[in-house]
Amino acid sequence: MNFELSEEQQMLQDSVARFVQDNYELENRTRLVASKTGFSEDHWKTIAELGWLSLPFGEAQGGFGGNQIDTMVVMEQIGKGLVLEPFFASVVLGGGALKRAAGDAQLAELVPGIIDGSRQLTLAWAEEQARFDLHDVTTTARADGDGFVINGTKSMVPNAETASHIIVSARTSGGQIDENGISLFIVAADADGVTRENFPTVDGLRASEVIFKDVRISADALLGELDAGYPVLRAVANDGILALAAEAVGCMEVLYKDTVAYTQEREQFDHPLSDFQVLQHRMVEMFMEYEQCKSLLYRATLEAAQGDTPEAQRCVHALKHLIGKMGIFIGENAVQLHGGMGMTEELRIGHYFKRLLVIDAQFGNADYHLHQFAA
Amino acid sequence: MDIELAPEDLAFREEVRAFFKENEYKPGEDYAQWRLDWFAKAAEKGGWDVPKWPVEFGGPGWSPTQHYIWEQETAVANLPWDMPFGIGMLAPVLMAYGSKEQQDRFLPDIRARKVNWCQGYSEPGAGSDLAGLKTKAVLSDDGTHYTVNGTKIWTTAAHIADWIFCLTRTDDSGKKQEGITFLLFPMKQEGVEVKPIITLGGAHSVNTVFITDVKVPVENRVGEEGKGWTYAKGLLQHERTGLAGLSRSLVALDKLKNQARTVKRGNATLMDEPAFRAKVAELEVDLMAAEYTELRSLASASAGAAPGPESSILKLKGTEIQQRIQKLTVEAGGLYSAAWGAKQPGPSFARSGMSGYLASRAYTIYGGASEVQKDVISKNVLGIKKSK
Repeated sequence: MNFELSEEQQMLQDSVARFVQDNYELENRTRLVASKTGFSEDHWKTIAELGWLSLPFGEAQGGFGGNQIDTMVVMEQIGKGLVLEPFFASVVLGGGALKRAAGDAQLAELVPGIIDGSRQLTLAWAEEQARFDLHDVTTTARADGDGFVINGTKSMVPNAETASHIIVSARTSGGQIDENGISLFIVAADADGVTRENFPTVDGLRASEVIFKDVRISADALLGELDAGYPVLRAVANDGILALAAEAVGCMEVLYKDTVAYTQEREQFDHPLSDFQVLQHRMVEMFMEYEQCKSLLYRATLEAAQGDTPEAQRCVHALKHLIGKMGIFIGENAVQLHGGMGMTEELRIGHYFKRLLVIDAQFGNADYHLHQFAA
Repeated sequence: MDIELAPEDLAFREEVRAFFKENEYKPGEDYAQWRLDWFAKAAEKGGWDVPKWPVEFGGPGWSPTQHYIWEQETAVANLPWDMPFGIGMLAPVLMAYGSKEQQDRFLPDIRARKVNWCQGYSEPGAGSDLAGLKTKAVLSDDGTHYTVNGTKIWTTAAHIADWIFCLTRTDDSGKKQEGITFLLFPMKQEGVEVKPIITLGGAHSVNTVFITDVKVPVENRVGEEGKGWTYAKGLLQHERTGLAGLSRSLVALDKLKNQARTVKRGNATLMDEPAFRAKVAELEVDLMAAEYTELRSLASASAGAAPGPESSILKLKGTEIQQRIQKLTVEAGGLYSAAWGAKQPGPSFARSGMSGYLASRAYTIYGGASEVQKDVISKNVLGIKKSK
């Protein structure tokens, strides 16, 4: 039994923490949120130089050979800083899908660009009618000659605006909600027939609706095996959930600590707010739930690092439920205990709260995963 | 006890509905003019423009049942926008503590919605502990005017207000509740600077107001110097009663159900999901109870009792219910609740759902934070005293 980070992981954590400290004062972040792409090209280059973008890839591709535990280390710090650069979209989702399903030629073509930051990937999995079901897919890929033609609309695709390639789930056979018959494809974001409608999200990040209209792709764009994309998609979604949960835990830590600090400074009724027992207990609850989320994050991450087992899946459902529910609990109470100040854009807590709200909605919310857990 | 509506109450309800229908806004009409006309016509009905004002000041003198009917009908009708600061907050103070001259001077314009007021209460250092306010008002040697200096914060609508009613400190030698004076002065003058505060939903409704060497004639002081806290406390009770918004919540809950029915899940909708359905049902139960809490409170008020500490219960329950409805709306929007652009993908309610939810987090903060409301109930209703 050992919950200590390895020396390498400790260095990685320090590296991300230092980057956050140097670059992510609220004022700087606010400026980036308002910028054209919503993040900094310079930061992206720095992140590439620091080597985080190579995290999940094998040493044969020039990667770090990391697993879910390494991703957790990075994402927790990203959560503490509310980092805007598309590490999650490109490395965790895009890179994760490649790592799990790509052939040697695809790896050779795409991975070096991901690692040096010149290419960004993203994953397009959501569709409106599906709500949170990964296997409810109406986007189609019809065989055509020696390639495919894709038609359909994907929703809320993270950072598609700046992505060079979009990994998309599409139906190649079977009915709308069948797990069999889903395939994954790598599509160039600027391919003919691909339209991206880009917009900001409430947490300051970016997403797009991606519309595929008669998009022709060659056979080598197929990622993994035909009709067998669902297990890959599910595994990538699980990795995504673990990463988001780590980010959420980072957000929660900032929220409860900021609240403890603020209530000790702010005086009302001739006392610091922290003198009032009702507020003390609330903060203790926030702290307890943060610790519980962190424990379940460790549990689910360590299970998943062992392999795609039913137990790992159960842990992932449990985790996504708990961090969704408790992230909002901690966020709401951080705002409440900061009073009017908590409602402003000037303090950072509101921004962490908004990120936690969005995390709850990604890859299935708290209710959805509780239901899956109980099923 | 009886819950049947009497024939005259049913007739009243029909009359209200007919009035709302007759005076509905028609597309293309000049909105500002329609709004003023609407209130003028409501006045002709016999005080329908000021339902809560007492009869001697032109109110309609309705029974609790009529008030209840009015509130239910207004929640579903499309009424002109209105703000509570003049009509609901300052007016009762002027009626109770203002001079005849002040009543004659200010009430008609408040009633006609010609003058917008804002409330200068909270300060950066005085939030829940409102009595700790420090905005200073110094009486001139000749006793003709006060000079006011200080900062007010969270001032709703200060950027569109013509006047402010403002709590100021005229004496800091005694208990902090003493030495507070209630002043009225125009917003559009040198020395009053309004700075917007952007809140989490991205909206601008509250402001910081900087007050520098503003001269206020003594005739703009309400009541006695140093008694402002007593007047303000009465006013806070009025504010709190108005914040429960139960009728609006009933409408909002209906809307939520309809929205959830548009969210497809396979062959069913979100409303068919047991977990979501249960949360909606829990809300419905709480609302049913709170409606009757409000009726009981209305009944005691109409029997001549001032809105008492029971109004704190309503604010607590009412705002909590509003927040839960907003939160379920965000849940119903699913991943689309995150979208924050000008053009919105997914269900049409998702964007307003998120901004409404974020804004709703203030409901348990303003008008007395929930934690303070509970202190009030503990002390005044349960009679719990702190031991020495």
